[in-house]
Amino acid sequence: MYALLFHFFFFFFFVPFVPSWPTSVHFTLIAADSGRQIVEEAQKRTDAKSQRYEGVLQVFDGKGKIADKRWSFERLGSHGQSKVVLRFSAPAEVKGVAMLIVNHPDRASDQWMWTPAIERDRRIALQDRSTRFFGTDFSFEDLDERDVNQYDYTLAADNDIVDGTACWKIQSTPKESKSSQYTKSILWVRKDNYAFARIENFVKDQVVRRATYSDIQNIQGVWTARQLEMADLRRGSRTRLTLDKLEYNVPLKDEDFTLQAIRRQ
Amino acid sequence: MIEERRVITKTRRTRRNTKQVLYKALFVCFVCFVPSRYRDVSAQTFTQRGFVEGSVILFPQDAVNDTTRIVGDLRVRDEIFIKPAPWIQFAGGLDLRLNSHDQAERAWRVDVSDRGALRPSIAVRRLSATVTHKGITVDAGKQFIRWGKTDIVTPTDRFAPRDFMNVVDTEFLAVTGVRAAVQAGSGRDTLEVVWLPRFTPSRLPRLDQRWTAVPAGAAAIPIVDAGAVLPEGSEAGVRWSHVGNGIEFSLSYFDGFNHLPDIDAATTINAQPARPAERAIAIRRDYPAILAYGADVAVPMRWLTIKAETAYVASASAATPGSDDYLIYVVQLERQTGEWVFVAGYAGEHVTAQRAALTFAPDRGLTRSIVARASYTIDATRSVALESAARQSGGGVYAKGEYSQARGQHWRTTITGVVIAGASDDFLGQYNRNSHAAVALRYSF
Repeated sequence: MYALLFHFFFFFFFVPFVPSWPTSVHFTLIAADSGRQIVEEAQKRTDAKSQRYEGVLQVFDGKGKIADKRWSFERLGSHGQSKVVLRFSAPAEVKGVAMLIVNHPDRASDQWMWTPAIERDRRIALQDRSTRFFGTDFSFEDLDERDVNQYDYTLAADNDIVDGTACWKIQSTPKESKSSQYTKSILWVRKDNYAFARIENFVKDQVVRRATYSDIQNIQGVWTARQLEMADLRRGSRTRLTLDKLEYNVPLKDEDFTLQAIRRQ
Repeated sequence: MIEERRVITKTRRTRRNTKQVLYKALFVCFVCFVPSRYRDVSAQTFTQRGFVEGSVILFPQDAVNDTTRIVGDLRVRDEIFIKPAPWIQFAGGLDLRLNSHDQAERAWRVDVSDRGALRPSIAVRRLSATVTHKGITVDAGKQFIRWGKTDIVTPTDRFAPRDFMNVVDTEFLAVTGVRAAVQAGSGRDTLEVVWLPRFTPSRLPRLDQRWTAVPAGAAAIPIVDAGAVLPEGSEAGVRWSHVGNGIEFSLSYFDGFNHLPDIDAATTINAQPARPAERAIAIRRDYPAILAYGADVAVPMRWLTIKAETAYVASASAATPGSDDYLIYVVQLERQTGEWVFVAGYAGEHVTAQRAALTFAPDRGLTRSIVARASYTIDATRSVALESAARQSGGGVYAKGEYSQARGQHWRTTITGVVIAGASDDFLGQYNRNSHAAVALRYSF
């Protein structure tokens, strides 16, 4: 879920060594450089000029599915400097709601939301980003696309098994300049194709959100997870995102990624 | 109601009728033919949204001029958007309305302009074409144009008339005209130019209903609607917006008419044959020509977002000598933490020249007030919201609580409770007999 990784849910960041290392996270720190190299390679392999897909979101609480949402997603530009337009098509009451995300390599992304019911756009401020995105288990911060330079990485385990696949286990912490709701994240990167297998996001020493990537396919040369499940461990709910009609390097125009453009339905 | 007074030459009327017929014909073609042609072509070229909503409002108290305590409303909305090519898009929408308290017209007709005193039974909500070329966007037709950044009061939002049939639960009315936006600097700078050939006023509460507050002492005197003088001229505005790294701001200029009227109230003697002479108050609405100079700014910070907006509104005195000059300003703080959203702010007003004796101006009526709003998203289907406004003078208080729950992919129920208290001479306080509860059931499609 490479692509997903970098234009969607990305969190992470880390300090190579935390003096009061949480007892709940027992692993051996191996090499900071190799952790970063692996993530860089993962990012490199997902490189595409643009991307488009239709996403299906299914929200589950402890008792079962409570909501379905659909959106179209378009991204233009390279990692860390891309622009994203995300437009809801279902349920009917949120049709036309759109988001513009402008990512920056050196700071948090700028995000705006267009709400057709009031015909206005609204900037989503920094402090808003821990908020759940439209009642799903993704937060607004999870929509950010993060450049590797915004985080520090440490290879925590060289051969961890996730769903029967060998993975690198990498700890990432946001750099001081990076504002994040997460204290740190643990990433599992598949050794066979550098796709992300799982990401756990921590607040202090507690895992608060877990992303699990599955149905990994090679789409136009990019190994991509077609399904991502984000679990909010504090609430006991989860959201599954499925990617349909995924395409890379589609012809998109820069002028379609502006505040004026998201007004158009 | 007395017919609105307008002096229109026969030629103009004929031209207008022709326009109406053309509009209607275009709309029928648009709604019936084009969608069926494009619906199957691609989801990218055709989108539709709409809803059916039924609501019931219960007022526990009689008002001085209105003893109806239960009001039912039914609204059907359908909007379609067609994009036959990447550079052009058409938008169309209809609103159908029924109301148990005579707030909507009974006659079934399509109203394109939506400028009447009553809500049309069938209104063209929007009908526009959007053309884009590189950084230039031109919208032409009936559309919504929103300016400003604040939520409590938006002083620069001059092209956004509203339906004030219920003063505390309003909706925007579209305007007819052309809006051009030119972007530069990768979309960071935008220059908007708006021209409206025809003025659209806000819709006011009916004079014989509770949202027209009548003092108890005046209950015995009949109030009659002497109509409105709708200005015939065009309106124009320019707005420059800049989006920076840690700040975004806009400057705007408006030359047009206030969509909220000055009120001309005159005592008349209604002498009819075979009936004793009767005193009455005739209410006429005048929409003053104004110039408005505005600015708005939003500064997102680590812990909160500061938004501010101001506009200086000056009457074009030669045309409307009886209108006020005033400055409205709003400072608003926003904070979102977890699933909570908090908005609080102060709206103020400074009158530099007072000329109008009587106005209907909810924007000014809500100034000198502290307004706060909190909302909480419980989960993907449920939310609650609290909203309150208190006048600085202590003269009026408004509080609203709302619970909303979705069911399945289409249904949503919203339960609302509103409490209004205060003195009769205060803008909010005058509605002190209009506290109410409401239930709305919406099916979205």
